[in-house]
Amino acid sequence: MTPTDALLRYRPWTGEFRPPICASWAMARSSLRLMMRRKLFWALYALAALIFFFFFYGQYLVVWIQLQTANQSVPVLGINVRIGDFLKFLDRLNLNGSAHTFGNFIWFQGYISTIVLAMAGAVLIGNDFHHGSLPFYLAKPIDKRHYLLGKILGIGLFVNLLTTLPALILYFQAGLLYDWQTYYFEHLRELVGILAYGLLLTCSLGLLLTATAVWVKRTVPLIMIWAGLFVLCRMLGNFLVDGQRFDERWRLIDLWNDLYLVGLWCLGADPITDRAGPQPQPWEALLVIVAVGLLSAAFLRNRIQGVEVVS
Amino acid sequence: MILERKPTTASTDTPPPRSPVAVSLLRFEEVSKWYGPVLALNQVWFPLAGGITGLVGANGSGKSTLIKLAVGLVKPTIGRVTVLGVDAANWQAHRLVGYCPDHDAFYEDLSGRAFLRTMAALNGMSTKAAADRTEAVLDRVGMSDRADRKLRGYSKGMRQRIKLAQALLHDPALLILDEPLGGVDPIGRQELVEVFRSLAAAGKALLISSHELEELERLTSDVIILARGRIADRGSVSDIRDRLENFPLTVRIDVPEPRALARLLLADMFPEVLGCDLLAGDPTALLVRILRPRTFFAAFARLVIEQELEVARFEPLDDSAHAVLGYLLGGSGKT
Repeated sequence: MTPTDALLRYRPWTGEFRPPICASWAMARSSLRLMMRRKLFWALYALAALIFFFFFYGQYLVVWIQLQTANQSVPVLGINVRIGDFLKFLDRLNLNGSAHTFGNFIWFQGYISTIVLAMAGAVLIGNDFHHGSLPFYLAKPIDKRHYLLGKILGIGLFVNLLTTLPALILYFQAGLLYDWQTYYFEHLRELVGILAYGLLLTCSLGLLLTATAVWVKRTVPLIMIWAGLFVLCRMLGNFLVDGQRFDERWRLIDLWNDLYLVGLWCLGADPITDRAGPQPQPWEALLVIVAVGLLSAAFLRNRIQGVEVVS
Repeated sequence: MILERKPTTASTDTPPPRSPVAVSLLRFEEVSKWYGPVLALNQVWFPLAGGITGLVGANGSGKSTLIKLAVGLVKPTIGRVTVLGVDAANWQAHRLVGYCPDHDAFYEDLSGRAFLRTMAALNGMSTKAAADRTEAVLDRVGMSDRADRKLRGYSKGMRQRIKLAQALLHDPALLILDEPLGGVDPIGRQELVEVFRSLAAAGKALLISSHELEELERLTSDVIILARGRIADRGSVSDIRDRLENFPLTVRIDVPEPRALARLLLADMFPEVLGCDLLAGDPTALLVRILRPRTFFAAFARLVIEQELEVARFEPLDDSAHAVLGYLLGGSGKT
């Protein structure tokens, strides 16, 4: 060390570097931290928490009613209603630890996470391209694969925190409420299904959000595109199939429904019992999701060609 | 006229004697870069060893493209860019390179400290190592006491320091700094210049792109001048001047009788003199446009002695990097 260095307290780095895949994890954590910093999103997180507690205490309530008070009645607006009759209402919500419980839960939670992602996409990814901060990242010892992996991992972390993780808690709660010695074995498919549904949401939403954020970069256009994909396409699909009696495959334009159909298939549930109207086959929905994923990946490949920053 | 550095020229292949690094850290080999129909860089060839190298050029001269190629953000259309033999676009080469871009687009919600920790983690450091190293570089750039503020509240100078800090995190052998002094106040500028010098003294190679030519001249004697996508010249400003003997230079000479001096200079004994002008408003000043300044200076010194001239002032008016650049760009270049 030269005297000048000593004077300026220069300390060379002598540690070991970890492989670039670890950088993806760091990027994912950073993305998550950014989403948690936005106060606006906390209203949506509160809504997600409400949905979770609804399912959590709903499952508990159903079991409690069945075991303790099924034959009792309570006055509702001056009329004595048998508590057991409440079960008929609660049965419609499938708060019974079945595949539909988890499917419905992930459906609702997934919508919340999709809304947050639509609003956060520009901050997480779009700004890297819009404001030209991408060189900061790509000049580090990573390449574009690690960058994309980090972004998708960040989105996946967020989606799974809102969907898969609470769904797993509901699964373990159901096992404890019923007979845990048999429930976990008999409902192993549901466990695998929850994980597979989470993976499906992670990959599809991760690729789709990254591609749309790279494409439009700004928040408002991104929200409009996602509203088009998940709301307008859904309405159009329903109109064509239910209103105009078109083939049920027209419903495949509803990407959210496609994800749900494949998710239910992963959970081992029959979508016909849960969805109104004719539905396409899960494999057809899966094909659409794979096609959307491949298109997004191809777009990203072209947009960040090699390590070339195109802005 | 554009002076070109040929690939086989021995002078550029030889590392500067002041360099503590024996091999070329960064090497451009016959590199050309096209953006569609636009040729941004044309057959550039140069090695870079230790020490500080300045990079100057007008807007559109290919500076940014050269820097992006050196950092590996773009790949050359033709040729090869390597960092210690590794392709610059390879992530492994990025371990050796610290890049400080000219723009400062950060995650504005993060504090300077949090941003640097994230950048350190991207460099492959563990959480603890990232925290330690962040403190070290914050101390280094003089930002330790302001690092907890959000980036959106930083001044231009503070942002420059944070950018420099993130480039220093992994202690790279090669630092590529794009306009690192832009927006920094004079005191901060001096501090950063000291940091650059100490890094060079520690064996680092620094490639500094700047429009602050005077600052660059004080910082380094090795300047690369880019013009129209080519390396127009490389060396110290005075060396470049020597190679530009045929370009005109204007000299101001203050004497009691400028008209008489003009007559002498325009006589046959001074073939280097192109013309003389009297400076309006100053009856003692004479502006002399010359070629081959060294020859002229020697001849003029003899004239002063022989004629016993009282020269109050003798000043080349455009002996600066700006002027050199202007000549190289055919007078059209703006810096």
